[in-house]
Amino acid sequence: MGVENEKDRRGAQGAPPPAAVVMRGIVKRFPGVLANDRVDFEAAAGEVHALLGENGAGKSTLSNILTGLYRPDAGEIFLDGEPVQFHSPRDALDARIFMVHQHFRLVEPFTVAENVVLGDHRGEGRTFRLRHRAIEQRVAELSKRYGLAVDPRARVWQLSLGEQQRVEILKALYREARILILDEPTAVLTPQEADVLFETLREMAAEGRTVLFISHKLHEVKAVADRVTVLRGGRSIATVPAAEATLRSLAALMVGREMDSAAVPRARSAGDPVLELADVWADSDRGGSAVRGASLVVRGGEIVAVAGVAGNGQRELAETVAGMRPAARGTIRIAGKAIRGGDPRSAIAAGVAYVPEDRLGTGVAPSLSIAANLALKGYREPHASHGPLLRLARMRERAVELIERYRIAAPGPSAPARLLSGGNLQKVVLAREFSGRPRLLIAAAPTRGLDVGAIETVHAYLREAAADGVGVLLISEDLDEILTLADRIAVMYEGAMVGETSREEADVEEIGLLMAGGEDPRAD
Amino acid sequence: MRIERRLRQPRWLPVAVPAGSLVFAFFASGLVLLATGHDALSSYRQIVDAAFLNSGAIGQTLTQATPLAFTGLAAAAAFRMRLFNIGAEGQLFIGAITADAAGLYLGGHGWPTPVVIFAMVVAGCAGGAAWASIPGALRAFFKTNEIITSLMLNYVAAYMLTYLVFNTESYWRQTTGFNASVFPTSKSLPDAAFWPAATIHVRGGIVLPLGAGIAVLVAILLWFLYTRTRFGFEAQVLGDSPRAARYAGIRTRRKILAVMAISGAVAGIGGASQVGDFSHLLDADPNGLQKQYYGYTGIVVAALARYNPLACVVVAFLIGALQNAGNTLQGADFPSGLVGVMQGIILFSALGGELLVRYRVRVGRTLPATEAA
Amino acid sequence: MNNSLLVVVLASGVAYGTPLLYGALGELLAERSGVLNLGVEGMMLVGAVMGFWAVQRLHADTGLSLAAAVGVAALAGTAMAAIHAFLVITLRASQIVSGLALTIFAGAAGLSSYLGNDLNLADNPARHSFNGVFPAAMQRWPVVGPILFGQNVLVYASWVCVVGVSLYLSRTRMGLNVRAVGEAPASADAMGINVTAYRYVHTLAGGAFAGVAGATFTLAITPQWVSGITGGAGWIAIALVIFAFWRPALCLVGAYFFGALQALSPQLQARQIHLGPTELWTNSLPYVMTVVVLVFVSASGARRRLGAPASLGLPYVREER
Repeated sequence: MGVENEKDRRGAQGAPPPAAVVMRGIVKRFPGVLANDRVDFEAAAGEVHALLGENGAGKSTLSNILTGLYRPDAGEIFLDGEPVQFHSPRDALDARIFMVHQHFRLVEPFTVAENVVLGDHRGEGRTFRLRHRAIEQRVAELSKRYGLAVDPRARVWQLSLGEQQRVEILKALYREARILILDEPTAVLTPQEADVLFETLREMAAEGRTVLFISHKLHEVKAVADRVTVLRGGRSIATVPAAEATLRSLAALMVGREMDSAAVPRARSAGDPVLELADVWADSDRGGSAVRGASLVVRGGEIVAVAGVAGNGQRELAETVAGMRPAARGTIRIAGKAIRGGDPRSAIAAGVAYVPEDRLGTGVAPSLSIAANLALKGYREPHASHGPLLRLARMRERAVELIERYRIAAPGPSAPARLLSGGNLQKVVLAREFSGRPRLLIAAAPTRGLDVGAIETVHAYLREAAADGVGVLLISEDLDEILTLADRIAVMYEGAMVGETSREEADVEEIGLLMAGGEDPRAD
Repeated sequence: MRIERRLRQPRWLPVAVPAGSLVFAFFASGLVLLATGHDALSSYRQIVDAAFLNSGAIGQTLTQATPLAFTGLAAAAAFRMRLFNIGAEGQLFIGAITADAAGLYLGGHGWPTPVVIFAMVVAGCAGGAAWASIPGALRAFFKTNEIITSLMLNYVAAYMLTYLVFNTESYWRQTTGFNASVFPTSKSLPDAAFWPAATIHVRGGIVLPLGAGIAVLVAILLWFLYTRTRFGFEAQVLGDSPRAARYAGIRTRRKILAVMAISGAVAGIGGASQVGDFSHLLDADPNGLQKQYYGYTGIVVAALARYNPLACVVVAFLIGALQNAGNTLQGADFPSGLVGVMQGIILFSALGGELLVRYRVRVGRTLPATEAA
Repeated sequence: MNNSLLVVVLASGVAYGTPLLYGALGELLAERSGVLNLGVEGMMLVGAVMGFWAVQRLHADTGLSLAAAVGVAALAGTAMAAIHAFLVITLRASQIVSGLALTIFAGAAGLSSYLGNDLNLADNPARHSFNGVFPAAMQRWPVVGPILFGQNVLVYASWVCVVGVSLYLSRTRMGLNVRAVGEAPASADAMGINVTAYRYVHTLAGGAFAGVAGATFTLAITPQWVSGITGGAGWIAIALVIFAFWRPALCLVGAYFFGALQALSPQLQARQIHLGPTELWTNSLPYVMTVVVLVFVSASGARRRLGAPASLGLPYVREER
């Protein structure tokens, strides 16, 4: 391979200078997931280059490879034409690649200056003794020069998320990063703050740096990037100049499909409302509100989908309805009766079934047997216990029955749930939730990470549930899935419903635009 | 070397690891012995003789194994739910104090033996449970780390024990008689509060203390509680995944309180058995009960038993045998401290072996990134 | 004046507090890197026995023997800590069980007693021991004499250590890195800091300090070898770290306070002063206070201001999904 590189380099002579970053044929597998599938990617010095893709398209994995956090299973990386291999984040940092992660890599009890200098072994922080004053001064200089207002002596935990992001960018500037990667940087910013950030990024690019901007928000990508590379399903689909792309063309590339003609229209028999949300607010884990005045009605027998990009409050909404998160304001009615928020047991009793997004962490107890997991919600019912005693034989019988009915490929009812594949695990969750005879079924990202066969099975079960008169609230970032399944589609953006349409009238691109916070074209 | 999470777990592994640890510990301790110029084989023979073969040896082993079974069960009951109650030591002391009080009072007032014994067991339970409820409540309501709080309370309990007999004229202290004026001691239990023991007439008689029977019963009850009841089901879910527990509508706080109380109660019966079965007084001497470290060794027992109550009883017997050998063989020709060294190595290898249960260790790197291109 | 209760208690508080201080400083270093080591008592005892062994067997003058003995004690403690480090950092074993196992392995009924017996160390006083360094006249100065000038080198060295550890943590690059590793290992890793190496180094350093703490008993306080000589000081040292909110200077205050409590009870008895159940409260106060402090620390919000390392007790694994 050494020879090949020689050739590469010789071929580059006389030609324009090699691209700042070239990634070729990158493959990364995680147990059960192919996160990057032969991704090719190229970015030049002095440009803001956007990586666009839906959630799970492989953007974060690709950037974690570029920053040395993950090692690729296959593929090559070139910086300015030189092949490089990163064994640890330190190697990437030494190559002056810096990433601002979605969850900031800050040490909360430290001051801003301490965070900036952490791990530095070349600049002001290289000396054995930390010269706090010199460091603070340098940080103050940088923040002044780039208009990143933040007090170097403030403790990070006292800062807002927007300010924390500035600290991350200061870290990059302090290290004189030539490649700066930002993963969904606007998620924590107000639109005004985002505009300021874009200005900073363009300024940094103008200095000859490469800025990689990871996002799934179309208008942002269009606003800030010079070029856009679209990832879908772990593959690189296309690279286009941002100026020539339209929001519609980008949406089409990102979502990448024609309408599914195989979708079977069902006879709709919407019954009484099983879920009524009126102006529901709920807090996020980080403080602040994740759900901001959501209102929605789901009737028995219909599938209502909530579309939206991750992080717009859908997960929190699902948890609030399921009782796992207290509602700060508003009312939740299940089958006409208001339920107390923040109490999963009363939600279960009211007939709420919930297929959580995080199936291994929340949906099952991974070390417990499949039989136990199938009884996780119903262990208080007569089919699993008699007074304080468990009816193990009955539980087992029922597990065998459900394993057969839902065609769960399992070594047996007593095997621990963690041994199951993603699809079979999801079948366990579905089997349990359906068998509780719910009125309302919340399905959050029910097919994420599943293969095609398993996806179809899950879809069939959701349709079946609706046919039985259950109201289904489907929360998904996969428009394909939503268009296949839903009778009605509501779009959630920044914690509230920003639009609703029936399946018949639905238009992919419109929904995509709403999801990305774009204007509703019908509005004008 | 790379360490990866195991996706499939061979069935034999959970049994092979503790067994392998024992074998490895004997091997490694043998090396220590040889390196320091001892005859390893003869030391091991001495251990086996003192633990099992000598006349009365099994009885003495049971004397050591009984409290270990209780503290082991106490640890297992809590650790199973990932509540790290390392306060069995103190809970045992408090159980001994309360059970001794019950025995002295009821036995002294002429109540029949079965009633007195029952009352002593209940008092031991209550004492241990109350003491364990302090870290339990702090954990449930303030999220205070139970490891350190339960550990700290061990010392408080130990000083209380010493104080009651040595530094104050408490209800427990013997205040009359010649001995009492020379050296502080506690009151002896009245005969009605002595726990009966069965004797098997082999090898010079093996005494089966009532406490050993109770320990087996408690083990079965705990096993039943954790595998056959709703309570156990909830505890298992909570221990495995607190998020899943919340999702399933399990009331977390109550469960923590209950499990800590149960754990303490079991250790407390251990204290009652110490008083009723063996010492027949409140053994407050810092060189007596407190030097045995039953609470800490109980954690060794529980860890080796992989927190399975039934296995705890078996492991307690083996570790008890080792402790007994260590106690009996103190002297010139047996290396002192060997027992602790062996227990430590057993536990270290069990801990290291646990890695093999959960992870697969791969030697060698993955393909260099560029080769595949 | 120098025989007054306060002066006597404070002077012996400093002496008794010194092993607590060394042990706590070591545990503090380990905990600041995110490793909880409950094996302090065991490491101390092995340090105590090996330090004593060195002083008995080395044939050199007093100064050299003692210096070598302290070095041997530190090495012995380090060796013990290495077992814990390997198990919890590399093999990701439970820090709680491993630490307890270390105490059982090395403790009063384990290796320390095995070594003490095997090396024939019992029943002999130390051939050399640490004594006061200032002239006797200075030691007789009122109040400050016994408390400040009546102490041995180990006490003064511990002050240097407090300052050293304190400056190391707050003023040096490596100190900053350790704190980052203990607080947010993922952030530290992303910034190119070798989390594993930092945890190893500080756990081992913790062992070295614990070894010296043990040697303080056998070379200065007693000075002889008795099995289980530390009498639970290792556990108090662990408590002390929490009590001091993970700060070296507060460790010093706490160590002398706990040391003074230990000295208080016999002094009160000797002077026929009765203050309620003296033995009970003087002995258990350190533990009770630690519990109270811990409750206070665990109150949300207080955590980050008071300094409990956020990742204490948690193994760090980079690539797990």
